[in-house]
Formats: sequence, C-alpha cells, structure tokens
Amino acid sequence: MAVDPDDTGQLVRGAAGGDEVAWRGLVDRFSGLVWAVARAHRLGDSDAADVYQTTWLRLAEHIRRIDHPDRVGAWLATAARRECLQSLRAAGRVLPTDDMDRLDLTPLTGNPTEETVLAAEQEREDADRAALVWRALDRLSARCRELLRVLMASPPPSYAEVAAALGLPLGSIGPTRARCLQRLREEVAGITGGASSSN
Amino acid sequence: MRDSDDELEAELRRLAARREPVPAPLHQAAVDAFSWRDIDAEIAELVYDSLLDADAASLVRGPADQRMVSFAVGGMTIDLEVTSAGPGRTVMGQIVPPQPATVDIRHPQETVTVEADDLGRFRSGPLPPGPASLRLRPPPGAAGPAIVTDWVAL
Repeated sequence: MAVDPDDTGQLVRGAAGGDEVAWRGLVDRFSGLVWAVARAHRLGDSDAADVYQTTWLRLAEHIRRIDHPDRVGAWLATAARRECLQSLRAAGRVLPTDDMDRLDLTPLTGNPTEETVLAAEQEREDADRAALVWRALDRLSARCRELLRVLMASPPPSYAEVAAALGLPLGSIGPTRARCLQRLREEVAGITGGASSSN
Repeated sequence: MRDSDDELEAELRRLAARREPVPAPLHQAAVDAFSWRDIDAEIAELVYDSLLDADAASLVRGPADQRMVSFAVGGMTIDLEVTSAGPGRTVMGQIVPPQPATVDIRHPQETVTVEADDLGRFRSGPLPPGPASLRLRPPPGAAGPAIVTDWVAL
C-alpha cells in the first residue's frame, strides 16, 4: 500500500487502520520533534526518555480518534509538553523563566592567534564552531533557548508544532525566532570577541 | 536577514542532529508502541493529575511523594494514588462505581496483574518508574468491554 510519507494525515489514517508501515512513517517524521521538546525543557536523560516513550504510547492508543490527522504533529508536541511539565513538577524543579541560565559566563577561549587558525584543519574548525554555537545557545534566555531547541528538530517542525510544544501563540513564533537567532549571533560574537554580550 | 536566519537555523539543526540525536533504542520503543494498542478496549482518559492540576497551595499541603491521578470513561472513574519510594512506585486504585475487575498494570517491560475487590479497590506491588497504563477487564462471567487508561509516566 503506497503511503506518502509526507502526508501526515494519510499516515495517521493508515496507522488508525492498523498499518504498521504508516505508524513507522509517523515515528520517522515526528520522533525528532518529540525528542526536541523533551530536550528543550532540559530534562535529564531518563526523564526525557519517559516523556518521549509516554507520548508515543499515548498516540498509539489514541490513533483512531485524532480529530485533525494532518495536525498530529501539534497533537504530539502538546502531549510531550504536558509530559515535560508533569516531569518537572514531579522533580520539584520548575525553574522561573529567563535568566536562570546566564550564570556560566566563562569565556570559551581567548582569541585564536593567526598561526593557530592557519594550522587548524577544517574538521577542527567545525568542531570549534559547533562547541561555540552550543555554548552560545546555553547562554540565551530560557524563552529563546527553548524556542530554538524545538526549532532545531529534524525534520524541521512547522510553526504550529513549535507553538504547541511551548504553549505560545502561533503568531509569536516568527518574530521570536528572528529575535532569538539575532541574540544567538550576538552571544557567538560575544564569546569569540572575549567581550561580554551587548544584551 | 531572512536567508541568514534560515542558514543559522539549518546549522543549529545539523548541530542538534549530531550532538543530541534520538537514541536508537528510544526510536525503536516508539515503533514498538504501536503493538500496545488495544483496539477493542474503551479509553479512559486522563482527567486529573495532581502534579499538573492541583493549585500550589494544595501541593504544599498534600503529602509529599504522593500523586493523585484520575481517569474517566462513560460513567466510570478510576482514581489512583501513586506513592514514590526511592526509584519504586506503588499504586493504590479505586474504581467508581465500586466493582470487581482484573487489572493489568501495563509497563513497556512487563505487565503485572492484580485483582480489584468487590469494593473496586486494588493495590500494586513496587513498580519501576516510567510509562504505565491500566487495563481493566470484567471479572470472569461478567460482560462488558475492557477499559484501558491513558498512558502516564509514573
């Protein structure tokens, strides 16, 4: 049976009818999103695993009664978010939003010398850049970090899915994304420049 | 800035895929979740979870390490009191209206079966933390469909 892996509505209807291939297609399509939601909420490994697994088990049980099959990504994102909040509550570690994660302000390294730059291999540069960006991400406000961590899911989530994952209005996603990417650039520049961020 | 925003987002996506990919066993668990469906059962949906729905004051007043969870379907509710003791979980349940049932406590690693008495009360032994769902079956000789609850992480 030919199921179009890009047509999520069709995948949901296929899975609802018992088609295991369609279910696998749904997992392939949204696994990254569900995982990103757990990661965006900064859960530990085992809590993130519980959120991920509970979310998929719940969808499997509900697959025949999804109201909007083409919006199953938002359904999953909402379910995963709820599980994350429950997990954070259980652990008693709901953090106040914003600015709790700006404490680590140690500069990554000093300015690289021209010599070391010339000597560095591309691979090394990529690794440095990756570490730098990852670090800059950690220095963003909670709002920005969460938004970007969800946006980073593979394959790319829709804005509706991002909004559902974070409990934000759909219309706020585009502008917040632009602002947070700009903040990320500034953090990267701040770290490489050895200067404090412009804020 | 739109193009460069897209480029930066793509870079972040590659980074996340390399640094924090979905662990393979978890992806497999999501695939396997499909086999846990019980297509003949009615679903009792989660209608209350003290962790999410209780106000802050009652959380403070409530006993530590105790969580109340309720599921409902038709005219029936299933109330659970989940107690944490270290890594283990214990579940005490009450079916309303009171009635006997066979209760399968489903967990991805195993299923434990206990009996609800004539007053609809049941109790589990120590359970591992993680996703769980109950399946209630009418006692032998009684009619009626099985009922499964929403999955919750205990």
